[in-house]
Amino acid sequence: MNPYLSIDTLRNCLEGVIPAGVATCSRDLIPNVTYVSQVMYVDQEHIALSFQFFNKTRENILANPLATVLMVDPDTAARYRLKARYLRTETQGPLFERMKARLAGIASHEGLVGVFRLRGTDVYRILDIEAVPGAELPRQLPGRAILPALRQCSERLNHCVSLEDLFDNLLDALDRNLGLSHSMLLMLDEPGAKLYVVASRGYPSSGIGAEIPLGVGVIGIAAREQVSIRIMFTAAEYAYTRAVREQAIAEGLVDALEHVISLPGLNEPSSQMAIPLPGIRGLIGVLYTESQQQCRFSYDLEDALVTLCAQAGLAIQGLQLGDELGTAPALPDCLCAEDSPDDASPDSLRVEYHDRDHSVFIDGDYLIKGVAGAVLWRILSDYSERGRTDFSNRELRLDSRLGLPEISDNLEARLILLTRRLQERSPHLRIEKTGRGRFRLLLQRPLVLVPMNSCLINPPVASVDRA
Amino acid sequence: MHASTVQGPLDPTLIQFITSQLSIQVAACSDAGEPTLVRAHGARVSADGCQLTLMIPSSQARELLACIAANGRIAAVFNEPETHRTVQLKGKDARIEAISADDAAALGAYVDRLAKRLQHYQVPEAFSRAFYAADPADLVALSFSPSAAYGQTPGPHAGEPLKPGSTP
Repeated sequence: MNPYLSIDTLRNCLEGVIPAGVATCSRDLIPNVTYVSQVMYVDQEHIALSFQFFNKTRENILANPLATVLMVDPDTAARYRLKARYLRTETQGPLFERMKARLAGIASHEGLVGVFRLRGTDVYRILDIEAVPGAELPRQLPGRAILPALRQCSERLNHCVSLEDLFDNLLDALDRNLGLSHSMLLMLDEPGAKLYVVASRGYPSSGIGAEIPLGVGVIGIAAREQVSIRIMFTAAEYAYTRAVREQAIAEGLVDALEHVISLPGLNEPSSQMAIPLPGIRGLIGVLYTESQQQCRFSYDLEDALVTLCAQAGLAIQGLQLGDELGTAPALPDCLCAEDSPDDASPDSLRVEYHDRDHSVFIDGDYLIKGVAGAVLWRILSDYSERGRTDFSNRELRLDSRLGLPEISDNLEARLILLTRRLQERSPHLRIEKTGRGRFRLLLQRPLVLVPMNSCLINPPVASVDRA
Repeated sequence: MHASTVQGPLDPTLIQFITSQLSIQVAACSDAGEPTLVRAHGARVSADGCQLTLMIPSSQARELLACIAANGRIAAVFNEPETHRTVQLKGKDARIEAISADDAAALGAYVDRLAKRLQHYQVPEAFSRAFYAADPADLVALSFSPSAAYGQTPGPHAGEPLKPGSTP
């Protein structure tokens, strides 16, 4: 093995821009050569080739595992010959899903949508890499140095004192330091087998509260398989907005979509990347970024985001734990909010609550559902019955009616989601953080609470006029 | 997999296709079963349709030329980038020859045509010219009698023997 040539530094040859060639040889020494749609980087010592059709290459590697790949740097035209030994075929799991998603982008790029069907991911051990002599173009300077930018992003996360602060700083840092102007952060709702948007950047509508089922689109697959997925070209079948809608149609849930918060997102992104956020006990969320520019996200950028997300995942859990134990760092400013009755309207605010899915509608408009909806109904009911406006995370955790999971309840993230949805949708009803693990209800109009179905928390109709 | 045996001259449609300035890769293997490959820079077929000749930069093909010299077994894949039409031809009697003056003269047209074809994928012309650049003094010719042909256009029929008279 040439000690100076590593697949780590040649990964842009594997982006699928210029198809590679693969030579194999049968047991009776008859060579075979073919173009291959995708050679994927696995790690420093392994690559994977897409297995789509039963063909001579397939037959040969099962009989004689040696293969040679001729790959090209799409920037400089430099050629490299890579010798490898076939090890195994994977037909499911993270590596398979990663390749399947990337292949969808390549198929679209090559005008071959519907032709490619990934049967398996053939994993090879790299034996040798040889630089093939020949004319080359000078390498252009990269637009942005990724390592210093990663360091800046990491330092910003270190200074975050609250979860809300971290959500916003993470996306802002990606924009400022890495030029990722369209991004969103989603948290895992484990019992619901879905993810929900808690922060987004670069879209006309924030989409906060929008949901994506596990396994649907780039984001859902990255979450289910806990693997980063990066697509270099437009891959319509992986666009999550379309994927979510198609799944809903398939399951006969089209009506329900009318009450679903629209996902933010570019219409037909040309590059997509979804990175899981790992926590101590497994996945806690997904970071997603996209671009209208083809091949916008490199392997190196993917590495940077995987590293940053590892830090963000642990930081989120640390801040949640600190909040739970009352050890979170002090908030920089006093956020104790005062009610401002000047804007109060004499009209009542009609709040409907559907027990079935904990959905809340304000003046007929959908606001939120799930745990965040149950929390809102719980505090509004408390307010209507006892006049309470100050609440603690601890009392919510102890309230069995809210159905919070015992482990990883993500309560703080759900409160941020609720706070932001209220900011966007209901100017007369807000919640604001008043300290670690505490928040206050701010109401500027009288309330009418209307429980629908069989409500467990409140009497059938409660008219409240304290505001 | 059944080989499509080619006996006698190549089909005129096939000749027309493989000599239309396509993207070409050539493979050979050592007697120990180690495969290797290189890009070719043009193809021509003898007047009788029985001999296929490929132009190879020798500096890029040291190992491949050693394999050919050892056992003469060869495989070459021809791909039309903008349509994905692909065909593979194989032979057992490849030999290394000097290129002709006509081969050297044809190099410019080959690069021009491929650069145009790759524009379909927004590949910059400067890239294509670097990619297919070759010094005629470095080129050698590999000639062989094709003995098998396979269609390799992407799809479920990739790898099947090419039927006589059919286009890839």
